[in-house]
Amino acid sequence: MPVSVDSNRLRLTNEDGTEGVLVGFRCRECGTHVFGAATFCQGCTSDQLEPVDLSQHGTLYSYTIVRVPPAGWPGQVPYTLGQVQLPEGPQVLAEVVDCPAEDLKIGINVELTLRQVRGEESGADRVVYKWRPAGTT
Amino acid sequence: MTQFRPGREVMVAGVGLHPFGRFSSKDLAALALDAVLEALKDADVRWKDVPVAYFGHVYYQGMSVGETALAKLGLTGIPIINVENACSSGSTAFWQAYWGITTGVFDMALAFGAEKVPRGPVTVTADESPDRYIGADHMMAGYGLRMRRYMEDTGAPPAALAQVAVKSRQNAALNPYAHRKQTYTLEEVLNSRPIADPLTLYQCCPTSEGAAAAILCAGDALDRYGIDKSRCIKVAGAVLRSGGYNSRGSDHSAFSPYRTEPAALDAYEMSGLGPEDVDLVQVHDAATIGELQQLEALHLLPYGEAWVATQEGRTGLAGSIPTNTDGGLLAMGHPFGATGIRMIHETVTQLRGEAGPRQIADAKVGLAQCSGAGDVTTVHIFTR
Repeated sequence: MPVSVDSNRLRLTNEDGTEGVLVGFRCRECGTHVFGAATFCQGCTSDQLEPVDLSQHGTLYSYTIVRVPPAGWPGQVPYTLGQVQLPEGPQVLAEVVDCPAEDLKIGINVELTLRQVRGEESGADRVVYKWRPAGTT
Repeated sequence: MTQFRPGREVMVAGVGLHPFGRFSSKDLAALALDAVLEALKDADVRWKDVPVAYFGHVYYQGMSVGETALAKLGLTGIPIINVENACSSGSTAFWQAYWGITTGVFDMALAFGAEKVPRGPVTVTADESPDRYIGADHMMAGYGLRMRRYMEDTGAPPAALAQVAVKSRQNAALNPYAHRKQTYTLEEVLNSRPIADPLTLYQCCPTSEGAAAAILCAGDALDRYGIDKSRCIKVAGAVLRSGGYNSRGSDHSAFSPYRTEPAALDAYEMSGLGPEDVDLVQVHDAATIGELQQLEALHLLPYGEAWVATQEGRTGLAGSIPTNTDGGLLAMGHPFGATGIRMIHETVTQLRGEAGPRQIADAKVGLAQCSGAGDVTTVHIFTR
């Protein structure tokens, strides 16, 4: 059974790992949202945080096409890395897939998509969150 | 600025540098020792008089490497502190040396740094981090994201970014210590191999090996050590800031240039100087975009104008704000632990009027800014 690449950032919602949500926290005192693990609010230092599911959609704040990958990158080269602005405030970096070069522009709407990546040796496959143009079928 | 309460005046009495490049026959300790010996000679002080040493480095080369390097000089029982603060490890070691003296604990200190950076893209997280599957942990990809957004927001064309690298290589051609001394045309920079679009290879700093060292001394202790005051350069501001709340949160903060601004404002306040007083500056140009954004974060140029200033030659040796006068990370290369002190070496050399063909006429105030992932920024201001 595939496992989330990082359960602090992605919670799978079905057994075959094809559906899931980005997770984070909302501060009860100042309303700031945080993506991923948090103990204290990054806006005001309060510890009054409640777990929340973050939006499945965002806009592309910036992107780069990585031609020389970091060590251990299990995907194709080159790949597009997107910096995506969520409506709640946090930005989430992940690969942008299913997007022809001519459609890649700052400001386009993107949506979450999950992909399985083969794990190390005997380890379980990892489900990794990625972005794709909104409305991709 | 209530957390800062400087006391005694602190001077840089000597600086030393091992050339930056690749030195397969020398280990880290040997590189570091050469820089230390040069700094001791430059300050004309004896090793046995140095009461404390701070050593910046990042990559694991065995435990307590600072001790290993200094053992060759004879271990004298002094405290030796190994400092890791990412790319600002060297400038953090210097910052600690400054505060050790200004608070009165020590009269003199050695700050040094060295590195042998492996080849290939630099990552921040540990090998087992989930980030390796996500593909976001890639230093130059982070700069690529910043560059694309900066171009979108300010209208900077690719040629303006490439001009940063052209300028750095021109400066480095006048510097025998630089890793990359050959000059490039704008076209050569733009047409070099793409690394993380829109960044091309010649817009990324080389990973390198090298070492740098500085001897700091209390102003009131110079006579006791017989140090030549005429070659001393004053540390007028010394600020270190790490990532903070509201540093734009989320998972791109490691690539943010914004930490520099509060550190710079603190350093200006501490020194009683402003951006208008700065005669030359060394900034963290791991990629071309880094230089532009740091110049703006330091308030040396208005937001969105650094690319224009670069195209107009204002950041060149003959310009109004000469930047990365020794070639910067882009041409010196970037041995993490050494870089921050290398910037201070260049600043001190310039303020002494000893920079030869790179000399900025009548330079009185110099600033050195060094960033580290995490994120960290150091800002030091020096005066003649």
